[in-house]
Amino acid sequence: MSERIYVFKRFERFWHWSQAGLIMFLMLTAFDIHGTYTIFGFEKAVAYHTIAAWSLIGLWVFAIFWHFTTGEWKQYIPTTEKVVAMMNYYLFGIFKDAPHPFRLTQLRKHNPLQRLAYLAIMVFVGPLIWVTGVLYLFYANWAAWGLTAVQLEWVATGHIIGAFLMLAFLIAHVYLTTAGHTPLAHIKAMITGWEEVD
Amino acid sequence: MKLTKTLSAAALLSLFAASAIAYDADWKRGRVYYRSVCTSCHAVAPSGAINPSTKTKAEWAAYLKADKHNKGKDTVKQYVSKAYRASIKSGNKAAEKFADTPDQELMDDISAFLTKGAKDGDSPATCS
Amino acid sequence: MKRAFTRVALVMCYAGWLAAAGPVLADEAKPLKLNTTADHTKFKELQKEFTSGPEVTKVCLTCHTEAAGQIHRTKHWKWEYLNPQTGQTLGKKTVVNNFCISIASNYASCTSCHVGYGWKDASFDFKSEENVDCLVCHDTTGNYRKPPGFAGNPVVKDTEFPPGSGKIIKGINLSKIAQKIGKTSRDTCGACHFNGGGGDGVKHGDMDTSLAAPTKELDVHMDAEGLDFTCGTCHTSSSHDVAGSRYTPTAQDKQGARIRGKADKGNPATCVACHGNGPHKKEARLNQHATKIACQTCHIPTYARGGIPTKMVWDWSTAGKRDAEGKQITLKDAKGHIIYESRKGDFTLAENVKPEYVWFNGQVTYTLITDKIEKSEQRTPINKLGGSPTDGKSMIWPMKVFRGTQPYDPVNKTLVTPHTAGNDDTGYWKNLDWDKAITVGMKDSGHPFSGKIDFIKTEMSWPITHMVAPKEKALGCAECHSKQSRLAGIPGIYIPVRDNNKLLDTIGWSIVFLTLLGVFGHGALRIVSSRKP
Repeated sequence: MSERIYVFKRFERFWHWSQAGLIMFLMLTAFDIHGTYTIFGFEKAVAYHTIAAWSLIGLWVFAIFWHFTTGEWKQYIPTTEKVVAMMNYYLFGIFKDAPHPFRLTQLRKHNPLQRLAYLAIMVFVGPLIWVTGVLYLFYANWAAWGLTAVQLEWVATGHIIGAFLMLAFLIAHVYLTTAGHTPLAHIKAMITGWEEVD
Repeated sequence: MKLTKTLSAAALLSLFAASAIAYDADWKRGRVYYRSVCTSCHAVAPSGAINPSTKTKAEWAAYLKADKHNKGKDTVKQYVSKAYRASIKSGNKAAEKFADTPDQELMDDISAFLTKGAKDGDSPATCS
Repeated sequence: MKRAFTRVALVMCYAGWLAAAGPVLADEAKPLKLNTTADHTKFKELQKEFTSGPEVTKVCLTCHTEAAGQIHRTKHWKWEYLNPQTGQTLGKKTVVNNFCISIASNYASCTSCHVGYGWKDASFDFKSEENVDCLVCHDTTGNYRKPPGFAGNPVVKDTEFPPGSGKIIKGINLSKIAQKIGKTSRDTCGACHFNGGGGDGVKHGDMDTSLAAPTKELDVHMDAEGLDFTCGTCHTSSSHDVAGSRYTPTAQDKQGARIRGKADKGNPATCVACHGNGPHKKEARLNQHATKIACQTCHIPTYARGGIPTKMVWDWSTAGKRDAEGKQITLKDAKGHIIYESRKGDFTLAENVKPEYVWFNGQVTYTLITDKIEKSEQRTPINKLGGSPTDGKSMIWPMKVFRGTQPYDPVNKTLVTPHTAGNDDTGYWKNLDWDKAITVGMKDSGHPFSGKIDFIKTEMSWPITHMVAPKEKALGCAECHSKQSRLAGIPGIYIPVRDNNKLLDTIGWSIVFLTLLGVFGHGALRIVSSRKP
């Protein structure tokens, strides 16, 4: 028998989907700026990329506030417990219809691999993109800020590395949404807030 | 008695003022107006280019005196008039710039430019 | 009672006069008469026939007593300039270029653009006041002319020139011109500066007769239907000395906009002198660009935009061909522009030219006739531009680079100064004989000539600064931020997109590709395995 648990609260769902939209738009404009293809062209792509970036920063301010006031930040504390089991499941169990080793609850809504992946994004890829991105935006102020040793080339390189890692994450993330008990289960949960568990 | 005196004096004064400042034609202003108003139609197509150097000084003088534009269907003056300038000034910067120039002055300017640029003028001018 | 009547009468008179004077008041706004405090047509001294330029100048100097002395101090008069940065003596009197090469022995032709009368050979008296030419800069009629071959003198009577050629130069009326004297204009400055190098638009590329009455598209400031700047609006003058110089250009102007009362020794002709150093109001990022990129680089997308081509290449080494009858040849392109002349060689012309770009700090070093040069595959610079990405004084500037092949002395290893113009036995343009022409020319310029003649490839850079387009026509980002960047060869600066790192892209796309591969593989396995039971 399955039961339904309310895992994703209204703000969280709003945060997730607007963030998803913004990140995909940022990706689209990013590789336009990078010269990979031309949709908007460099000039407009830069303008849109900047607007989207500031919107995402704004969204993050609310999200961070929400995480700390609700205590939800604890969901991202890494754990080694069941990590091996999770990896085994994705590598072997999933093909044999083995039971999922992790049972989610309201207090533990991310499986241990999710926790690690999201944390890595939040402490490594995120800051890399944000620090280099903000530096890029404020290139004119470097001298005033005393950043004389910083090279534009390194800032740009860091930003591009971040973009590639984010794209790889996005692909894996989207794929793993299909790893629920039905392919659309996770996506449904992210929309409605309710996850069905065994 | 006094009144007539004063009045006639004033009239005389006005007359004097008018004659003292005879208009000195500005060929450069004529050049700008000719190039951006006249030449806007008198290009190669549809009506054929007309350069100042296509006529002699005498021919230009006669043309302006006759004041027959488009084989007499309208006048040259009409295209120099304030009213015409007002009608095209939204799309023609020269017409806008010289919107308030008195008709006769602008006509004199154009005439000076044409005389100067005529086939036998001081510096024959083409528009290319 | 009587007094009251007088008052009424006065008021009525006044009203009457106003009514009568109505149109007169409107007429008072005569532009020309308000421009000047002196109507020169009224001066009796000018109401006579003049048979020469100096006669006019003498009259000018009776009132403008210091004018000639002021002119004597300027480059326009001396054709000589000591560059304080390099210590080189420059000026038209001294420099050698790759157009008509040099004025030595060609004075009578070249000095048609001198602000003086009678400079026909090296003995010209630079102290003469009456030989200062006031009219060439102050003519407003547009009819003043100094044809080449008359040593800077105007022609006042119809004259056959060259004698025996059947070509008549029309005489001009100096009296009429002198009476209409006024401020300088694009037409007066342009009489020489539009025609440098021997013809319309030949030399500069960003200056030709299309700027006499330009549209806004061609030059946003000189727009005859709009702002209508004259040359003097930017190239302000003080005591007849005109600001702005190609010998010591201002590559970077850190002084910001000039404000009245501010102590200032800077060049008033820079863009910054009016626009300041932060002119982009909407897009502040562009002000950052402007710390490294000259305004001209983005705001002059191409030069020679006015429909008049400029000369890009001049090959003197092919000069001298004659047709079957032994006559000089002239070849023209489809548009009627000359591309070959026996007396000058081959030309390449171009319109709407994209400039070349370099780091430039304002320092220009000339290759003078006294400098030893080695012939090599590389072109010899007629003028070498200083500049680097790291000297803190350089900006990225647009240039017209003019390339030429010109005569050279392979024994003494110097450029040479041939005698070109002149209706005599040695002038190259008439005789097509380099030996005679260079021997005579080098004797005149006072430098040794071995008698051996070779040709050397040279190039000369001309900073592009006129023909500023309206802002909508300024370069878009992608002109430089692309793989086909206009700044392709500019070192020492990271330009996003132009400088994309190929290795980084390869690694990045590999990671993305492997992730996709993993995802599809995993998914496929799941689909396959789910069908088994």
